[in-house]
Amino acid sequence: MLGRGMLKGLYVTLRHMAQSYVKGPRRFPRRYVPGGKLERGEPDVEGMFTLQYPFERYEMFPRFRGVLCHLRDEQGQPRCTACMNCERACPHGVISIVAEGKGKQRRPKSYTYNLARCIFCRLCVESCPFDAIEMSREYEVTSFSDNLVLNLEDLLAIGDRSGIKHSGEAWKEPEPGDGQDVGAEGSAGAGSNNG
Amino acid sequence: MEDSQTVAALQDEHIDTESISINFGPHHPSTHGVFRMVVRLDGETVVDVEPKIGYLHRGIEKLAEERTYLQIIPLVDRLDYVCPMTNEQAFCLAVEKLGAIEVPERAEYIRVIMAELTRIMSHVLAVGFLWNELGATFTPMIYAYRQREYLQDLFELASGARMFHNYMRPGGVVADLPDGWVARARKQLAEFERFLDQFETLMTENEIFLARTIDVGVLPPELAINCGISGPVLRATGVAYDLRRADPYSIYERFKFEIPTRSHGDTFDRYCQYFAEMRQSLSIIHQALNRLPVGPVFNEKAKRLRLPAGEAYGHIESPKGDLGFYIVSDGKPQPYRFHIRSTCLLNLTALRQMVIGQKLQDLVIIFGSLNVTMADIDR
Amino acid sequence: MEFLDVLPLMIMQWVRTQLDMIMPVWGAEAIVAVIKIILLLAVGIAPVIAFTWAERKTLARAQDRFGPNVAGPYGLVVAFADAIKILTKEDVTPAAADSIVFRLAPGLILVPALLVLAVVPFGRGMVAADLNVGILYAVAMGSVTVLGVLSASWSSRNKYSLVSAFRSLAQLVSYEVPMAFALLAVVLASGSLSTVRIVEAQVVPFAISMPLAALIYFLSSLAEANRSPFDMLESESEIVAGLNLEYSGMRFAMFYIAEYLHIFLVAALTTTLFLGGYKGPLLPGWVWFFGKSLLVVFVVLWIRTTWPRIRLDYLLDFAWKFLVPLGMANLVLVAIAYRLASNPYLAAGLSLVGNLVILLLAGGILVLVARRSQSRRLRAVVLGEA
Repeated sequence: MLGRGMLKGLYVTLRHMAQSYVKGPRRFPRRYVPGGKLERGEPDVEGMFTLQYPFERYEMFPRFRGVLCHLRDEQGQPRCTACMNCERACPHGVISIVAEGKGKQRRPKSYTYNLARCIFCRLCVESCPFDAIEMSREYEVTSFSDNLVLNLEDLLAIGDRSGIKHSGEAWKEPEPGDGQDVGAEGSAGAGSNNG
Repeated sequence: MEDSQTVAALQDEHIDTESISINFGPHHPSTHGVFRMVVRLDGETVVDVEPKIGYLHRGIEKLAEERTYLQIIPLVDRLDYVCPMTNEQAFCLAVEKLGAIEVPERAEYIRVIMAELTRIMSHVLAVGFLWNELGATFTPMIYAYRQREYLQDLFELASGARMFHNYMRPGGVVADLPDGWVARARKQLAEFERFLDQFETLMTENEIFLARTIDVGVLPPELAINCGISGPVLRATGVAYDLRRADPYSIYERFKFEIPTRSHGDTFDRYCQYFAEMRQSLSIIHQALNRLPVGPVFNEKAKRLRLPAGEAYGHIESPKGDLGFYIVSDGKPQPYRFHIRSTCLLNLTALRQMVIGQKLQDLVIIFGSLNVTMADIDR
Repeated sequence: MEFLDVLPLMIMQWVRTQLDMIMPVWGAEAIVAVIKIILLLAVGIAPVIAFTWAERKTLARAQDRFGPNVAGPYGLVVAFADAIKILTKEDVTPAAADSIVFRLAPGLILVPALLVLAVVPFGRGMVAADLNVGILYAVAMGSVTVLGVLSASWSSRNKYSLVSAFRSLAQLVSYEVPMAFALLAVVLASGSLSTVRIVEAQVVPFAISMPLAALIYFLSSLAEANRSPFDMLESESEIVAGLNLEYSGMRFAMFYIAEYLHIFLVAALTTTLFLGGYKGPLLPGWVWFFGKSLLVVFVVLWIRTTWPRIRLDYLLDFAWKFLVPLGMANLVLVAIAYRLASNPYLAAGLSLVGNLVILLLAGGILVLVARRSQSRRLRAVVLGEA
């Protein structure tokens, strides 16, 4: 009463000012975390919070939905068979495919992916029955040219960079034996692409 | 002689004041989105307010008529962008009613956990922005937003995106929670309780804050009920109406939680209401985490979605109030008509009565305490 | 350390003697005056540029983030970058505005603030003009600012500016009165209106012997400087910076500089009047002066990060119903204490005790009134029952 609340507020602010110099990996005088790659911080209430973007980057979580990429099989060939499932599943008409060949030789003649219209919802990946596409973890896609339409070679290159071997790797659930505390994880969900 | 005549003339005449009309335009730092108000002021007192909406209209109801039900889910995410998961939950509820689809146990528990986390996220934003409009130069807002960032990390671990999650499906959820999620969630919630205590006792006792929010923008309960207001704004006026109790959906009947209410219906009560509801949500999440069963998370029969002709209305208690989806289907994969019962639009209708007679500075605070998102109003 | 204390004076003396040898007396006087003016401007404006940086850093650290730290070491270049950015903007005069007044208004705000710098004692003997009505001059210059504010917002022909003009007039005029009462107490205690003599008369800093006057003066000058929590004039979230809405380029820079200069003046005058000015052991006088004003500036920035804005009618209530009676009571108390006691320490002690009694009485009256009232707001603010 009589001003005590205001003084408490001042105390909180002063405490945050002091803690920002003392707590956390970026305490004074270090401005950037050495190495530049960070895990997301442990949840905390005080201490320095900023990510110094161009000099430090976060390690994205495994399920992060970044730019689309194509995957190769064991022989190094892209797995895509131009079945048009992803083109039909996309809400916005981002993907357009022209197919060639019949039967087992069916392959995409051209596969264009309009990065400017994609909302990264992953419905295309969920609908693919051939384990051919996945969302990579890239998000830095700004470009100076206004050509944000990627074709199959670009997408394969992103896929090779990302190191993903199979679609839905991060979305598989652990075996029931690996149980957690109360409420062990269940078995097959809807996001895994096994047929 | 002349002087006394002039003096007498002046004494007879009244000095009239004019009221001026100010445009709180769509580009304004403190409206929650693009919102325009035409305000008539008499000095500092507000005489009339005319809200003008529609600056964020994107035609979601029309766009949904051309998309299949699975493709509508990312669209519905973007309705009220501060609480995306509850929008998805309402939509999935409507579709499941229409198609009589069952949801497995574990999926229901996960949905409840996600919905309550979303409720916390939305209330934290409401509280933070109210301080911003009061003029405390972003400091309390950043304290609140920090917690929101950690919660969004939890969402990203589970669904892949910080904001537009696309996680729920009619029939369950997309995929199970990853390894370590439950432990991380518990740790996060423990820190969040610490934040709540710190924020409540150290910021809410500020005398300037109390003087500016108590008895400002009083909403009487009859007016609230007549206008169709729901959610924390209604409960702060004293009416204990919560859809999770009144019209239970999902598995909310199995959890023990209270419906907090406040009695006066002014801005301070709405502010305290957000805190009380956050605490109740924390308790629900802890109960759900403790009882999480083993099992599948998606009903495989719902994978090929074929809805019969008919109509269904599914409504839930979203963080802003009563959010409902009305779907009319004629057997095709796309809905025939898709209507959204918008929470924030109805919450906004009482603004005029709350604000007339208050000062201009109070107008901004009252509007902020209603916690509307323009995306939900304009759809 | 004595040497450092008198070093600037010795340099000025040397320059004077050199000039005396080459030119007649009036020439030397004129040149010395010009040198003093340039030094004064440098000493006045340099802190202003530093404060733009300091404000951003302090606000950022309280919000758990870095603030500017990429442009230059610790972001120091940002202060100059801000200045250059403002200077390169286009100077727009609205067609409907009253162009003569519109162009003169920033000057009316900036120049009086600069003029007050003339009576601030930066160190022992380092004052530009030792007027024997120093405090009166400072208060008068502060009042001219009111005219500048009004003419700036009226000549903009803009409704937002008009609304802010109404508010600012009420605020600036009402806070002159408690400021005057607090200053009168100081003047009574030290026996003179000259700033140098006030500093000399403080054997015990007046903030200790009359804390009430210090608080009243500090809060009133915050209000005069349009600074949080009284910053409705430029409240971003409501009126979108009403006063300087139509200004851009160099004219806006003048408003900007005037605001920060006001803050520095608040700090400098509070230091001079209440914290003992340049007095202090060991270190030279000007080091103590700048150190104390930096502390006061930090408190001003600290308040800005934490407290929300006060509404206009509470602002006026606070001035007239709270600060003015306290100021008057303090004045009477100081007059009695300093008359009764001949020893300055005894007088300081008496007035400190008296101040505490006044505070307790005022608190008691407030609590009694709040207990009996029906208003929820009053009960919450005073008694804390929310």
